[in-house]
Amino acid sequence: MLQLLNLIVKFKDYAALTLLCIISLSLISIGDVSKIGGYRAFVVGTIGWLEEAFSWVPNPDALKTENRAVRELNLYLSSELMKSRKALSENRNLRELLEFKEGADYNLISAEVIGKSVIELREYITINKGSNDGIDRGMSVRTDAGLTGVVVVVEENYSLIETLNNRQIKISAKIERTGIDGILIWSGSKYFNMMNIPKSFDIKVGDELITSNYSRKYPPDLPIGKVVKVDEDKSSLFHKIYVEPFVSFSTLEQVFVIQFVNDPERLELIEKMEERLRLLKK
Amino acid sequence: MNRTKKKINHGFQRYVVYAIVAILLSLIQFSLLNFVEVQGITPDLLLILCVWIAIREGRFTGIIAGFLIGITLDIVSFDLVGINAFTKTIAGFVAGSFYQEGKEQLILHGLKFLLIVFISSFIHNLIYFFFYIKLSDITFVSFFLKYGIAFSFYTTVFAVIPMLIKRKERII
Repeated sequence: MLQLLNLIVKFKDYAALTLLCIISLSLISIGDVSKIGGYRAFVVGTIGWLEEAFSWVPNPDALKTENRAVRELNLYLSSELMKSRKALSENRNLRELLEFKEGADYNLISAEVIGKSVIELREYITINKGSNDGIDRGMSVRTDAGLTGVVVVVEENYSLIETLNNRQIKISAKIERTGIDGILIWSGSKYFNMMNIPKSFDIKVGDELITSNYSRKYPPDLPIGKVVKVDEDKSSLFHKIYVEPFVSFSTLEQVFVIQFVNDPERLELIEKMEERLRLLKK
Repeated sequence: MNRTKKKINHGFQRYVVYAIVAILLSLIQFSLLNFVEVQGITPDLLLILCVWIAIREGRFTGIIAGFLIGITLDIVSFDLVGINAFTKTIAGFVAGSFYQEGKEQLILHGLKFLLIVFISSFIHNLIYFFFYIKLSDITFVSFFLKYGIAFSFYTTVFAVIPMLIKRKERII
């Protein structure tokens, strides 16, 4: 025993390294440790305060890009408005004929982006609204262009948003034109990749993507982006689809938090089902 | 006896300073580093601190400091818990391997410090990004250049600041 202790003391560097690496790897394998939200909420409050203090520092490049985008959007919207008015009246008439319910409208909370945190390959933004304004964890965030992210931590006056350009995020999306569903993940560059779409499915460059009804995280029918490239890999059975998001993540200034959290009953049902499957696997 | 007590107190104070610096650097890392972001690349200030401690205090302390800094970062950064602890523990080990008793100060204000930061950062980044990047998505060369070289180089550039401060202290 004494010899063993002596040995450990002698090679304490290696012993410490091995032990700490094992602890770290065990933590990685556990994965979701969402119970530490309290610490994180405290950090968000402090960071929010700091970022607000430095928010006066301008970013000319971001402003220039934002201005150009707004002008283009304005032009596009004015023509869309005309079409939309016409479509709305047609839609109302048709709904009356079919006695359909009106589509769900969500309450939006406007917020300003006061800071951005880039931690290695993950981006987070801090907004100046929190639980006092009715924001809750899990609510989706969008801009006028489209889906931006999800609220991950809420403090009284600040919230932290995990943007879509994040390796951990998977979005259940569908092609608006055809209704084909798939999973969208960030490729690490400026594009996203839509996964698991067989080659036999009809996908075209220019197709627009929206959030799917299957999504547990995001409300349905939010615009995400458009297909810019479809690669045909001969060795694969699936399309390799590149999607450009509508939102410019580098120039975010104003966002809207959607007061929508998925139906807890539905989530509970899915969790129960997954638990059963896990037990069956065991 | 008194001298020993003084020495222990002095050592304790140094660790308190390290903890305070770590908290301050975490806040800067989160809130202000987007001002110096280039093509999604930001320096890792906490890694510099980890290397600093390892060179100043030795390999064992470097490993422990790396783990503690990493786990704190994991908790507050919404990252996969354990990943920063793992990579920074290894970075502390690598940096601590360059520890030379009696020559700590000489290393800290010399170019050798930058070299150690670069090597530790390089190894840290390769392991860290290995967890995040699907190698099938990018070529090994671009993985090596961007996540290995570019990230490490940018961190090394920021390591010049503590090195220069240390150098100035020595001149004064």
